[in-house]
Amino acid sequence: MAGNILPKAELTTSGRPVLHPGEVESSLLSSVDLLPEQEHNPAAAASFPHLKSGLLILTNHRLLWLPESATATASPVAIPLAAVAHISSSSKKSIKTMFASPRVRFRVSTTPQGRVDPGGSQSVPVMLVLRGKSTDPDSFLGRFFEAWRGRAWEAPGGSGSGASTSGPGDGLRAPVVGVAGILRKEQEMWESTDKSLQDAFQDLNALMSKAKEMVMLAEKMRLKLLSGSNNQTGAANDEEMGSKEEMQDWLLSVGIVSPVTKESAGALYHQQLSRQSIVLISLLQKEVLSEFKEDMIAQLEITEIGLLSYFLGIELADFVKIPIERAGGMINLIDIYCVFNRARGTELISPDDLLQACILWEKLDVPVMLRKFDSGVMVIQNKSHSDDEVFARIKSLVLKPDALRSGVSASDAAMTLGIAPAMAKEHLLTAESKGMLLDVSPDGFRFYINLFQEIDLHDVY
Amino acid sequence: MRRRPGIGGLQNAAAARDQFRALGDNVAKLRTDLMKEQLSTFRSQLEDFARKHKNDIRKNPAFRSQFHEMCAKVGVDPLASNKGFWAELLGIGDFYYELGVQIVDICLATRPLNGGLINLEELCKLLRQRRKTAREAVSEDDCLRAISKLKVLGSGFEVISVGKRKLVRSVPTELNKDHNEILELAQVQGFVTVEEVERRLTWSSGRAIDALDSLLDEGLAMIDDGHRDGKRRYWFPCVSSISSFVGTDTL
Repeated sequence: MAGNILPKAELTTSGRPVLHPGEVESSLLSSVDLLPEQEHNPAAAASFPHLKSGLLILTNHRLLWLPESATATASPVAIPLAAVAHISSSSKKSIKTMFASPRVRFRVSTTPQGRVDPGGSQSVPVMLVLRGKSTDPDSFLGRFFEAWRGRAWEAPGGSGSGASTSGPGDGLRAPVVGVAGILRKEQEMWESTDKSLQDAFQDLNALMSKAKEMVMLAEKMRLKLLSGSNNQTGAANDEEMGSKEEMQDWLLSVGIVSPVTKESAGALYHQQLSRQSIVLISLLQKEVLSEFKEDMIAQLEITEIGLLSYFLGIELADFVKIPIERAGGMINLIDIYCVFNRARGTELISPDDLLQACILWEKLDVPVMLRKFDSGVMVIQNKSHSDDEVFARIKSLVLKPDALRSGVSASDAAMTLGIAPAMAKEHLLTAESKGMLLDVSPDGFRFYINLFQEIDLHDVY
Repeated sequence: MRRRPGIGGLQNAAAARDQFRALGDNVAKLRTDLMKEQLSTFRSQLEDFARKHKNDIRKNPAFRSQFHEMCAKVGVDPLASNKGFWAELLGIGDFYYELGVQIVDICLATRPLNGGLINLEELCKLLRQRRKTAREAVSEDDCLRAISKLKVLGSGFEVISVGKRKLVRSVPTELNKDHNEILELAQVQGFVTVEEVERRLTWSSGRAIDALDSLLDEGLAMIDDGHRDGKRRYWFPCVSSISSFVGTDTL
C-alpha cells in the first residue's frame, strides 16, 4: 500500500494540504503522474506506488501529490525534499520526447525495506510525468532545484530531517553517471544560487535592522514635531512646516506606516496652489522649464516628491475625463485604478498613490473631484455633476405606472440612467436618505416614491 | 521656567519663549540634516541589496514572503507608494499593482456567478492560468498582499475567513454573523438546505429563511430545486468547487 512507502500528506477538511511551520508553496501542477522508473530496479519499483493524474504541489519542504478527483483510491502523499537524493537536469531532447509529456526524474532515498527516509541507504528512481496542458517543465524543474537546494526545512521552526547542517548537497548526492559535464555545470549553477540565497537572507536581515533604525528615528522626529507645533506660532512655524514636508517625503521614501502619512495630501502640501503655481508645475511636467527645476521647486515651496505628486494629480485629472463620460458621469475609484494602470503599462501607481492624487485635487483647479458614499464606495465625478439632476430623473422613473406598483431596482435605474448598477444603487440609497424614496419591500432592494413627503401635516383632512 | 506673576513675570516668560524658539529652530535644522544623512545611507544600503537580490525577490515566492513579513514587523510598507525607495530600487511595486488589476478583473468576471465572493484558492488558480506566460510565480501570500492594498480604494475588497477557507470579497456588502455561519456550513458539500440550517445551527425557520433569502439576493447563493426529494438546495459558488467547472474557460 502506498501508505507504507510514501509518507501520507495531511489535508484539511476542505482538501488543502496542511503545511508545516515555515513551509511555503512554490509551484502547483495538475495532471501529474508520480511513478517509479521501471528500468533500473524492478523490485523496488514494484512496491512503489503508481500515482496517476494528481495535483502536484511543490513547497520549500516537500513534494506533495494529491489525488485530483474525490473518488480516486489513491491517498495524498508527500515526499520530503530532504529525502531527495538527486535531481536529473533536463535530459536530451529527441523526437520521442518532443511529443511525449515532459518528465522530471529524481531519486528518493529509502531504507532497505523500501520506506522513504532521508537517511536511507538505498535510493529509488522516481519519475514525474507532467501531463497538464499548461505546464512549463523547465520552470518547474528550476523551482524544484531551488527548493531542494534551499533546504528550508532545516531552518529553525521548519519541520526537519536530521540535524545535519553540512553544506548544501553534502552526503546526499548519489554518484553521477552520464552527461557529467552538463550536469555538473547545472549543479554548480544551482549551488551558487543556494549560496546567494543564504547571502540573501543575511543581507535581508541587515537591511531590516537599518530600516528599523529609520522607523525609530522617524518616531522621535514625529513626537518632536508634534510638541513643537503646539508651543510655537507665527514665523517659527515656517521652519517647522518646511521640515514637516521634508519629513513627509522622508517617511514616504522609506515607506514608514505612520498616522502622519495616512493624513490627506491636503495636510501634506498645506497651501492651496495659486493658478500661477499650477501653470508652472504643468510646464515643469512638460519639461519646458526643466533647467530651472531646482529653483522652481524652492520657489513653489514644495519638495521633489511633492512635485511628483502634483504631476500625478494633474495627469490623472486629464486622464479620467473620458472614462467618467463613458461611465455616465461617475466612476468607481477601483475601476480608475485598473484603467489607469493598464494604460500605463509600467511604473504603475499604487492604490495609495491614486487616493492621494485624488485628494490632492482639492489643491488644484481641476474639474473633477473625489466623492465618498456612506457605504464606503469612492467615486470620481465631474464637479459640474449635479445630484439634483440625477434625482429628478430618478423621480420621473419612480413615478411611472409600473414603478408605482412594483418599485424600481438598482438595475432598472442603471439601465434608464445609463450608469453602472453599483452607482445606481448609491444614488437610490442617497435619494432614500433624503426622504425622496421609500424602501419597503421585504428583500430591501426595490424603491418606491415616498408619498408621505407629499402629505402636509397641517392639511391632513 | 517658572512663571512669575506681574509684568516682570510676563516679560521673562516671553524671553524664555524666544530662547526656546531659537533653540528649537536650531534643533529642527540639526535633526533635518541628520535625517537626510540617515536617508542617504539607507538608500545606498537598499541599492546594494537590490543589486544583489532583486532577482531572488522576483523569482522566489518564499523569499518574497519572508521579505514582506520582516517589513511588516519593522513597520515599513514597501508597497505604499511607487515613489518610495522600495518600488524605485527593488521594483516589486509593479508586480503587486499589476496583480491588483488582474485580481479586480477576475473578481469582476466571476461576480455574476458567485455574487462577489470568491474562494482565495480559486482566485489564485485563475490568476495563474491568466499569467501563464509571465515568468514570476504567484503565491497565495502575494494575492493577499495585493488585495490588502486594494482595500484603500473603498470598494469593499477584503479577505474574510470562513471556517478553514479564505474568501475574497469584492463588493461592499456586509456579511453578518448568520451569513457567515451558513457559509461555513456550506463548505462541506457546497450547499445547504433550510432543514439543515435549522437543525445544525438550532435556528428558527424564520431566521434560517431570512438569512438564506438575503444571501440569495446578494447573489451569493443559487437555488437548486431539481432533486427527487423535493428539498430546495442553496448552492454557494464561493465555497463549493462548482464554479471551477462553469464558465471559467472564458477568462
